Formats: sequence, structure tokens, C-alpha cells
Amino acid sequence: MPWVEVFGMGILDNIISQNGYQVVLRNLGYFLGGAGYTIFITALSLAIGMVLGLFAGLGKLSANKIIYMLSTAYIDFFRGTPLFVQIFLLYFGILPVLYDNDPVSSAIIVLGLNSGAYIGEIVRAGIQAVDNGQMEAARSLGMNQRQAMTYVILPQAFKIVIPPMINEFIALLKDSSLVSAITVPELMHRGDLVFANTYEATWVFGAIAVIYFVITKTISVIGDNVERRLATD
Amino acid sequence: MKKFGLLLLTTLLTVALVFSVAGCTGQKQEQKVLKVGTNATFPPFEMQENNEFTGFDMDLIRAIGEEQGYKVEINHMDFKALIPALGNKKIDAAIAGMSITEERLKSVDFTKAYFNAGLIIAVANNNETIKTTEDLKGKKLAAQNGTIGAAYCDEVKKLDAKTEVRIFDDIGAAFMELEKGGVDAVVNDHPVTAYYLKTTGTSKAKMVGDIFSADDQYGIAIKKGNTETLNMLNEGLDKIKANGKYDEIYKKWF
Amino acid sequence: MIQVVDVYKSFGQLQVLKGVNFQVAPREVVCVIGPSGSGKSTLLRCINQLEKTNSGQVYIDGEELTHPKTDINKIRQQVGMVFQLFNLFPHKTVLENITMAPIKIKGIAKTDADKIAMELLKKVGLTDKAHVFPGKLSGGQKQRVAIARALAMQPKVMLFDEPTSALDPEMVGEVLAVMKNLALEGMTMVVVTHEMGFAREVGDRVVFMDEGIIVEEGSPQDIFDNPQNPRTQAFLSKVL
Repeated sequence: MPWVEVFGMGILDNIISQNGYQVVLRNLGYFLGGAGYTIFITALSLAIGMVLGLFAGLGKLSANKIIYMLSTAYIDFFRGTPLFVQIFLLYFGILPVLYDNDPVSSAIIVLGLNSGAYIGEIVRAGIQAVDNGQMEAARSLGMNQRQAMTYVILPQAFKIVIPPMINEFIALLKDSSLVSAITVPELMHRGDLVFANTYEATWVFGAIAVIYFVITKTISVIGDNVERRLATD
Repeated sequence: MKKFGLLLLTTLLTVALVFSVAGCTGQKQEQKVLKVGTNATFPPFEMQENNEFTGFDMDLIRAIGEEQGYKVEINHMDFKALIPALGNKKIDAAIAGMSITEERLKSVDFTKAYFNAGLIIAVANNNETIKTTEDLKGKKLAAQNGTIGAAYCDEVKKLDAKTEVRIFDDIGAAFMELEKGGVDAVVNDHPVTAYYLKTTGTSKAKMVGDIFSADDQYGIAIKKGNTETLNMLNEGLDKIKANGKYDEIYKKWF
Repeated sequence: MIQVVDVYKSFGQLQVLKGVNFQVAPREVVCVIGPSGSGKSTLLRCINQLEKTNSGQVYIDGEELTHPKTDINKIRQQVGMVFQLFNLFPHKTVLENITMAPIKIKGIAKTDADKIAMELLKKVGLTDKAHVFPGKLSGGQKQRVAIARALAMQPKVMLFDEPTSALDPEMVGEVLAVMKNLALEGMTMVVVTHEMGFAREVGDRVVFMDEGIIVEEGSPQDIFDNPQNPRTQAFLSKVL
């Protein structure tokens, strides 16, 4: 039985199991509904993350000491602590103080804050990757700092950050499985529930993995297309 | 300096290798090992204190091991992963406040019951609307994934589709959700809930109604068909019940 | 037109400008020459305050740029600058490169801005490249677009920072020709350059800088044919 040892989960036993196949078929609609939640939560968190990330990234480049320190503290905290910890800390600790928080909105907030920190670093790196001469040229034409950023630097940084942003999007989508712990009915949570009642690890999580893969592959294909369309030279 | 580091590393590796080899052979000669899986988030049956597994189940399995001449090795894992872990022999036995159910008997064998549990409802202190199981319909309920309590919540949802069931990976989070006001009730094994309220939650939550599903009995799970381990454990259980050890452990925790 | 009074500038420990005094009259073309590291590019960048001066004053048309209350952006609109490495905006077409600042800063209507831009492109001989991205242009073409971009703001002064140093030799001529025409039209220009031929032919005045100070200045004839200072003589003997 070396296979069993290698794969840990008794892969041969489970693949042979007819029952597992039926478990997946029976729950397919349930899983796809969970995937809907996963996409919904990821999309909204990404939107929040992009806004926060833009400000945090610009903040890290700011000459204003206070803005710089706030941005750095925000990015360091959310990048420097595990997402799982952040989920529990905010869900049970901080958010209940602010409002009557439910799992879905809490998940969107935590994932948004977390991705904002990563996107902040992406934005910062993207801006710094734009040649310094671009800023000088814009300023020499009489643009102020904000105009130069808006019309010259950010549009170029935008193109530079697309590949790391696609990465972040995919990472966020996968990380969203962690909010399963606070009972958000997304894909991983539903897989967990079905698994707990059927013990069909290979079939259930195999199906979950395939669904995640299809979503992430779709994102990366779309990302490649966007990248190609925006190429100017 | 570099050379010294290299020397140190080589020495450490060699020592580690020698010891691990020695450890393997040594164990086999001395004592048989019983690999036990649990989910140490279920006080007072199993929990982790000062980096050690403690609780009723932990004392019980160690007592059985001692009686039968086994060295008991305890591994913590997700509750729902215990049965698959038995299936692929990652563990020999699972003791985790696990109720003996029809559904589970399809996948594993159980020893004789060692504990009679039953479910209880816990609600927030100021909750006056939920008093019996009837009142659970249409409410927000929390339970731990893979437990009888979770299965019961699903049954309630079948009776009334408005019921919202929230399933957490560990029971502590479910109780926190209750305190936070995110759910109306937690449905869980009586001893665990009682212990939780006694130690942490008395100011915010209370138990209501009678213990139900009173035929809810805990057993030690083993891989289906592993009669050798099954007999060994049953025999050990009988022995500690006969010599008073079981009562001693029971008194310690309840 | 331009007045630079006792300007000092250092980067960290390195003193680059050590008390420079310098004037440019309207319609004058001044060429600044000198060995690399002499501070000539820094002087040029101090004129439109791309580099902040440590001390001293810079005036353009009587307005002090070095005064903290001055709206520097307003003045920069009247001071065109052309860079050694062109610094065109790669995400915009040639036409958009030229019209961006007039539209976004001056609020000129797009149709008007386009018309002005096309005239400027005609002037630099690149009308056919209007809708091309800069990545598709040669170095000489890029620099001519950069000149057109600066001219689109209708500046009173044009600053050129070694405009031909990054070009292949065969492209230097086309850029210098554009600059020469500009000078003939009466544009006030400060040109930092290594092109001694251009300085001699087009420059009204030549300034020789070395080690952060202006060593010698005068008409091209004086400087090139009859330099007084031994440092000027040494430099010219190497480059001519």
C-alpha cells in the first residue's frame, strides 16, 4: 500500500469508492452556490483592497511623515500577521464593537483590508518602477504633483502592476477559503460540511479543488488578455 | 568560523541520525505504541493546557494504555479528519467525545460506549424565547462541524427552512458567536457545554431545557475490521471500570 | 529674462554649484559647455527648480522662483525643458504627448490643442507620426517630439539639457536643425551641450563651467578662438 502512504489521505481507497462520486454529484449545485459566494466575496474585497491599496501605496511614497507612518503601519500589520488571525481578531474582537457584524460582511472587510496591504506594496513598487524622468518631464511642463501622478505616473504604473495584481486576485480568491472558519457559506465551507458528514476526502476536496482551479484559471486568462490589449510597444 | 559552523552542523546531523535510528529500534523492543487522534478543542473531554493534552478522554485513553501495556501517543487534528485518518492508518484509534452513530458505523468500528452524553441547548443569558427544542425552529443555531449537535441543527432546518445553521470548526468559536449575539443558540453535547459555561461563559450564556438525544453515547473509534485494537481497547475499558480507575477520572472532571 | 544670483547646490556631501551668477537676456541663445561633473546640467535644472537650490535666488521675468510663496507650477508652464533621454510619455501617442499639458493644465479645448500640436509637428517635420506611440520612433524623432511637446505650452524660455548626447551620430543633425530654427525665430534658449559646432554657430554667448563655477563667458569667438582662462584652454584643447 505505498500509494496510501504517499498521498496521506488513502487516495486509492477513496477513488474506488462509488459513494464519493455520488456525494459530489448530489452536492454539485451546493458547491457551485458556494463558488458564487467565493467569487462575490473576492470581488468586493478586491474592490476595497484596490482603493485602500492605492492610498496606502501613495502614502508610502508620501513626503508627509504622518501619512507615511500610517500607511506603513497599516501595510506592515496586515502583511505581517496571518490572515487567519486577522479573521478571528476582527470577526470576534473589533468589528462587533463597530456594528452588528455578520460573517459575509466581516469576511469582505477583513479580506479587503488584507488585500489592501498587499496591493499597497504592489502600487508602491509599480509607481517606483516608472522612470523618474517621467515625473520630471511632467513637472517641467507645469503640472503639479497630483496632475503628474494622475496623468503620467499612475497610467504607466497601472500597466506595470497588472501581472502582480492578477497574482493578488488569485491569491485572494484562494485565501477567501479561510473565512470558512467564521461560517461564511463559501466553497471551502460547504466542502468542509459535506466532508464532515461523508468522510469522502478525495472526492469532496477533489471537486472543490477543480472548481477553485477553473475560477483561478479563468482569472489568469482574462488577465493575460488585458495585459496584451494594453501593450503599446 | 565557517569551518566551525560546518563541523557543528555535521555533528548535529550525525547525532540526530543516530538517535532517530536508535529511537526507532528502541521503541519496538520496549513498548507497543498506540497512536491516538483527538481534537483538543472540546473541554472537558480533550483540550490543551500548558502544551499538554488533558481532559477526561485523555486520562481515560492513557489509563487504558497503561493497563494494556501500550505507550499512548496523542495527535491533534480537525474533528472531521479523525475518521479519514483512521481509514489510512495515520492513527490507530480516535477518542474525541465522538458519539456512536449509524452514519459513523458505516465507516468505522466503535468500542463499547464509555460515556453517556446527550445534547443541550445554550442561549444568551437574556434570551427568554428559547426554552425547549421546539423553540429552535426558525432561529439562528450554531454547532461544531461533524458533531451530533450539527446533525441535530440540520434536522431542525429540515422542519423549518427559515432556520439558519452556522457550523464552526471548533466549539469555542460557536460559543463566542453566541456571546457576540450572532446566533440564538448553540446545540452541543451537554458535558462540554456545562464545562464551558462553568469555566468561561457563565455571565453571558445559560443552558435551557432538558438534555435530549439521551442515547448519545461516546465511543472510541477504530478502523473498520481492526478487531485486534478493538478487543484490546474494550478489554482495557472493562479493566479500568472494574478497578475503580474510571470512577476516579470521572470524579476528577465532573 | 533669467537671473541666477549666487546659487549654491549640493547633493549630500558633494558640492555641485558653488556660487553661480548668470543672466540670460530675452531672445538670447546661451550655450553652456564644460567637462562632465562641472555642474552645468544642475545649473539648468536649478533654473526651473527641478533641483531645489540650497541658497541663492533664481528669477524668471522678475519673479523669484526660489521664494517659498511662488507658484512654481505656474512659472514652469512658461519654461520649456528638453531632456537628454527625451522622457516622452510612453503610454500616449505623439499627438497626445504634445496636447496633454495644454489640455490638462491650460484647459484648452482638445480640437484647438490638436491643431496647435499638428502645426508644431509640421515645424519639427513629424506630421506623419502624430498617431504613433513613442516606442516606435527613433531617438532623433523622439527628441523632436519632446521639443514640440515643450513648445506646445508656448514658453518664454526653452532649456535644453544635453539634447543630442543620447543620440546616434546620424540623428544629431536633425535635432540641431530644429533647435537652430527655433533660435532664428527669436526663442530665448539655454542649451547645455557638447556640440561645440552648434555653440559656435548658433550661440549668442558661451558659458564655460568647471567644478561648480562659471570660469569664463563671452561671445563664441572669444571663448573658442581666444580663451583667457587656462582651464578653458585645457578643456577646449581636448574637445576641439
